[in-house]
Amino acid sequence: MDSLAPHTEVRVAVAQCFRTLSTSTEPEDIISSLQTLHSFLDEGPESRSTPDQRAEFSRAHFTRTLQFLLSNIQADWLLGLSAAQRTDLWDGLFLRGPPEQALLVLMEGISELKASTSLDLLISITERFLLSGRLAALLWSSCLQTAPSDSPQLRETLLARIVALPDLTANRLHLKNKPCFCPQQYFTLLASEMLTALERTCQALKDGTDCSLIFVAQTLGKVCVQGHSGPVFAVMAPQLSVCTRSDMVWQRVCWKLLQNVPQRWMESVLTGLVQAVRGPEAFGRIIGNLVLTNKKAQYVVTHKLLLLQYKYETQVLRTVLGYLAADRERRPLLLQVLRALSQAWANPSAVKHTPLEQQLYVSKALLLSVNLLRDAELQELRSELLQCMLGGMQSHLDSSVVRIRHMGMVVGECLSARMDLNNTKLKFEYDQDEETLELLSLMTPISGEEPEEEPENGVTSPQETSEKTPSTQNASSQNKSKSDPGSDLDSDDEFSPYDMSADQEMTKESPRYLRDCLETLISSEDSVRVELSLRVAEGLVRKNVFAAREISVQLTKVLLHTEDKYSIRGFLSLRQTTMVALTVTDCIPVTQYLTTEFYSMNYGLRQRLDILEVLALAAQELSKPISEERSPSVGVSSCTDLTPYPGDNPVHWRQVVERRIQSKTKRLTKGATQPPAKATPNRYAPVAGHFFFPLLSNYDKPQVTFDLLGGDHLVLGRLIHTLGLFMHLAVNAPVAAQMGRALLDFVWAVRYHVDQMVRRGVLFAVCSVFLSMPSQNLLVDLNEQLFETRTWLADVAEGDPDEDCRNLAIQSLVMLDKSLKKQLQDQQALGMET
Amino acid sequence: MSRPAPSPIFTLRGAGAPLNTLHFSCHGGDTPLLFSGSGKGAIHMWNLNTRRAETVAEGHSGNSVVWVNTLQGTDTLISQGRDMRVCLWDLSEGRRAVLDSLWTGSVGFCQCSLLEMSTGTHLLAFAGQQTEEIKIVELPSKTPVCTLVPDAKLGMIMCIKLWQPDSGPGPLLLAGYEDGSLLLWDVTQRAQLSQTKAHPEPVMCLTFDPQCLRGVSGSSEKDLCSWRLDGQNNLQLQDSVTLVNPGVSQLCVRGDGKLLASAGWDHRVRIFGWKKLRPLAVLQYHTDLVLSVAFSDHQDPRQRLLAAGSKDQRISLWSIFNEGADTG
Repeated sequence: MDSLAPHTEVRVAVAQCFRTLSTSTEPEDIISSLQTLHSFLDEGPESRSTPDQRAEFSRAHFTRTLQFLLSNIQADWLLGLSAAQRTDLWDGLFLRGPPEQALLVLMEGISELKASTSLDLLISITERFLLSGRLAALLWSSCLQTAPSDSPQLRETLLARIVALPDLTANRLHLKNKPCFCPQQYFTLLASEMLTALERTCQALKDGTDCSLIFVAQTLGKVCVQGHSGPVFAVMAPQLSVCTRSDMVWQRVCWKLLQNVPQRWMESVLTGLVQAVRGPEAFGRIIGNLVLTNKKAQYVVTHKLLLLQYKYETQVLRTVLGYLAADRERRPLLLQVLRALSQAWANPSAVKHTPLEQQLYVSKALLLSVNLLRDAELQELRSELLQCMLGGMQSHLDSSVVRIRHMGMVVGECLSARMDLNNTKLKFEYDQDEETLELLSLMTPISGEEPEEEPENGVTSPQETSEKTPSTQNASSQNKSKSDPGSDLDSDDEFSPYDMSADQEMTKESPRYLRDCLETLISSEDSVRVELSLRVAEGLVRKNVFAAREISVQLTKVLLHTEDKYSIRGFLSLRQTTMVALTVTDCIPVTQYLTTEFYSMNYGLRQRLDILEVLALAAQELSKPISEERSPSVGVSSCTDLTPYPGDNPVHWRQVVERRIQSKTKRLTKGATQPPAKATPNRYAPVAGHFFFPLLSNYDKPQVTFDLLGGDHLVLGRLIHTLGLFMHLAVNAPVAAQMGRALLDFVWAVRYHVDQMVRRGVLFAVCSVFLSMPSQNLLVDLNEQLFETRTWLADVAEGDPDEDCRNLAIQSLVMLDKSLKKQLQDQQALGMET
Repeated sequence: MSRPAPSPIFTLRGAGAPLNTLHFSCHGGDTPLLFSGSGKGAIHMWNLNTRRAETVAEGHSGNSVVWVNTLQGTDTLISQGRDMRVCLWDLSEGRRAVLDSLWTGSVGFCQCSLLEMSTGTHLLAFAGQQTEEIKIVELPSKTPVCTLVPDAKLGMIMCIKLWQPDSGPGPLLLAGYEDGSLLLWDVTQRAQLSQTKAHPEPVMCLTFDPQCLRGVSGSSEKDLCSWRLDGQNNLQLQDSVTLVNPGVSQLCVRGDGKLLASAGWDHRVRIFGWKKLRPLAVLQYHTDLVLSVAFSDHQDPRQRLLAAGSKDQRISLWSIFNEGADTG
């Protein structure tokens, strides 16, 4: 009976208050009943209620009370209260009771009310609720309940409300949303409230009270899985990293917190944390040995972050791998990771079929982890690593993509250097670009491991550096003054020299007839004469067209077979420009010769590529409008100076493709306003067929030295690209329709080629077909093929591992659709007219 | 890094013939002038303010003019042509008339050398009728002073430089010969003071700086050879500079003794620091042999110009290393 007494007492009192509030019109009555309700929340010595009563009110009546107040929000008595009274008595009830109940009621109210003063009132209460730290109180109260007393459903709802608060308010308030409800601010606030709760937990643990972190962990997990890990960890990670540095209790609390994160949310929490934390030490302090106890965490850290996802910064890799290496118990995992990484790196299929960015990511991870190995461990893994290195380098170096080859070279160099193979090291020649430099830099461990703000170290280090710098300066100035007496006034140092690099040796007399050049190139052994002949040949070809025509094929033949015996500066470009000039001057015989030679025996890949490049450049030159006169001297200088020999620099090739695609995209987006490129007569249109069709004829007849559909991907890719270029330049030419049909037929067989360069070439060719073929021909001639092509393009656009391929496929799809739409509209218009 | 190679500040065109010789006259008068002697016998007087040829004088009947100079203190121009004559021109008050002429008898290319003795009198050294002969006369009286012929066979006289030492009593003469030898003559004693073999090939040009008693000579091969006179008037070879391309037509030291310019057969003018012969710049503009090079005698050092005359019929003018010494 005793236990019943306070219950009934409270229930009666609350019912009394409700009645008064709903019926009375006297302000005094209303105020006194509100004060009665308040008295159940007041704690402290002067409180009028007993603790039992307060507990009963919180348990059973608080939610009811708040709901009652909300349902009477439009009542006259509320409006009758003064602002101060309302804030104190009415709003105060929301802010002082158990926060979880208050939050639930507030959220419910907000989602039910339409825009009105009542809603504004609720919003302002919610705002104050957030700003007055009630969230921390909420989290902290959940920490204190070691055994959850409320139902799982209730907790689930509460969790959902906490995490979805920005969404709920934004949906209700639209543009009038308060800044503190915006995700960025709200989650920052939530993070600091979680930190407050954790801090109180630490304090409580030190005082000997048990706490439960389950609810906080759940909140963290849910926030992260909804994609707000950025702002949350931006606040939490630095703080946790600092707190755990010295305090064991904090470390325990952090470990417990992460252990309590539900499995399904573990991944997002870990990925968020690993990106926000600075350095492996901090990461290790915060998550402890979680990877050993939690399967999911282990999978995420050792597998997903390293092998499956590749969007993270290198710092994340450093953190993860450094974390695995830092502890004796975790080290086996590092070895396991290293094995997996080396297998992934060496896998020839992965080299072919995974995106380049992922390969780069794996390479970085591999180098970092190798760098972390101790020598003993290295010995243990040596044979495996060697295997991986040899196999992996082979498949990387086989690739036709330059970046992949470079990656293979750098990783091979680094691995061989680290493994110390009888003091021998691999050494490759490659251009130092940003990527290779970054990879190389991974092999030098960062000395100051944690760039965190450490007060002790932070003070000492600047002093050291400031001490060092003047001393070195002194030393250098002393050196200078020592050397000074030697140089008296007699020196010429008062003048600083100009750049004298152009001061080269003079060359001898250059030939003045093209035939002399030819003779020299055929028979001369004099390097100077050969060089001079090469230098003047292009000019002579362009100057005297008739003389050039007499010996064009012969000279082309000689040039095609000339080798750079004397390492002449700019040899390749000189040879190329001359051949281009010959092709342009005497188009049909030379193209005939070159296209025949392309498929004949006994040529190197280099020569075949040269043929393609010469043809492409010649076609480009011919396709310029006739009116635009081109002086030969300009041609010479621009060719030799501006364009480096394209063959030496395969990136150039891709850039050209991209630039062309870019220019096309522009034309498409502005298509409606801009008329299509004006058709002007050019020299290419009449001879386009001579460039194009002979190259299509023999591709499937493999020879001993040249198998286009087999191993010689590189040439195939270039061939298709060159054909695409011929097609593109043939826009408005009568032969374009035939060319387009033939080209689509040709590329159909290789559309799923393994090599991405070939695939890019194919897509470029398809683009140019759609661009250059008249749209009516597209529909009529390619009727049956179009549907299949569309399906294929859609497939590529979705699934190709190469980004360029996907982009090109999308471009082609867009172009195809546009031109089809235009054609169909035209037909409809015609039909209506008739 | 080093500054990009300089460009000429302006060029003078229209001479219509190779420019064998250049001479500035900028220290007096209102307009700075540049005299040039062309391969077709014309002497151009270029006004450096308007950058046009003010007058063209023809006095050597179409024969190439190999040397021009002005007599200090008077408005007299002196020119040497391949017609074996040296002409004196009166330039005062706008006149362009030949005052006097002197028959040299030399068929070679050796340029004369002029030395002012006292106001009004000059010594002129020139190659004589015999291949190795140097003659010296006094101007304007044309009185022969002496004839210098070496004892040994040294080949044709290629270049000469007459100068007055501060210490010695009479003028000295430096001469370069066809076999690459350099001789120092004492004009008053008519004696050979010193001899050295500076080049394996003919000495094409030489210049001498009386202040520091150092000189430099060029030849048809790649080396510039520098030498000095010791206290006993002995020629001592010093270090040499190797050029990129062989052949030097003319050498010139700037008035302040800081720069040396060389006119190269490789179409380029090279600038060296005079003290250590440190290469400082290569001036590329001409498209044929550079035949002559000269520094201007502006009184304001900042206005100083360098002129180069070439076989491509142009004169290029450069403003180079004219800034204060502190800025280099």
